Amino acid sequence: MAQYRTQVRIIADVLSTARDMNVEGTGVGVTALLRRGNLSYTRMSKLLSELVGSGLLVELTGEKISKYMISEKGVQFLAAYHSFDDFAQSFGLRL
Amino acid sequence: MSPAPDMALIGSMLQFIGVFVSFSVAYVALKGVKHTESMSLMRLGLAFAFLGFGFLVESIVGLGQLIPRLSITATDVVVGGLLLETTGYFFLAFSHAVDVVMSKRMGAALLILPVMSLSGPDLANILSILSFYFVMYGVVETFYSYTRTRKPDTLFIAMGLALLGVGTFFQWLSLVYQYVAILSLLQIIPQVMGLTILFTPVLRFAVGGVKVDGPI
Repeated sequence: MAQYRTQVRIIADVLSTARDMNVEGTGVGVTALLRRGNLSYTRMSKLLSELVGSGLLVELTGEKISKYMISEKGVQFLAAYHSFDDFAQSFGLRL
Repeated sequence: MSPAPDMALIGSMLQFIGVFVSFSVAYVALKGVKHTESMSLMRLGLAFAFLGFGFLVESIVGLGQLIPRLSITATDVVVGGLLLETTGYFFLAFSHAVDVVMSKRMGAALLILPVMSLSGPDLANILSILSFYFVMYGVVETFYSYTRTRKPDTLFIAMGLALLGVGTFFQWLSLVYQYVAILSLLQIIPQVMGLTILFTPVLRFAVGGVKVDGPI
């Protein structure tokens, strides 16, 4: 059965996608983020602006579409997220 | 009857270990709240902060018994300590209850409280047995979580919580049978062993370390 995802987990999922799918170093498009993030377009757009605003993602503006790349702060956030998730999981809880 | 002075001293020393471990777990959890704004960590942090304050009150009461002129015999203080502890265990159980709802699964329910009827009207007894039920709920859910994740740490923590549960059960027994002095020590030993086990993730976290510029 599908589980509810907390906001922090959604953010971690989006950042992980932006990190893992950026194999060519040119950023990841919204379509790929939507597919892996399992969010509506409206919600994803809002979240992406928030993540860019907080410096966790970097927006690479092209001629037609924008692509996104995880920033150094985003990588640090993901590392911290995994550490605290590990800590919470030890107590049988999820972030 | 109060425990013998030697036993009270040992008890207080062991309680201080409980204070240290509880506040350490609370510190890491609340640090996690700062970075991730996770409500799960917030509840976990609150649980251990309350437990820490509860143990602190109990250890001070224990030390007070060693100095007759400063003896803290006020039942209200003892009940206050127990109330803090029970609140801590409540938040621990509540964290798991919320996790059950979030993961859309059936939680392990402890529907009946048969021992409650044996506790009588004394508030300290009731708080003590409530603590026992809350912590046992935590044990069951943590163990269930282990069956899903197969993470050895989770099993370890379930064992630590189970020892805390044994401690709270002896605590209840020591309140019901106050003339059996050894019960208060039997309460503290499994509690401290359990809390020491709970310290493992804190140690791992301290070794691993987390570096992040600030909250998101």
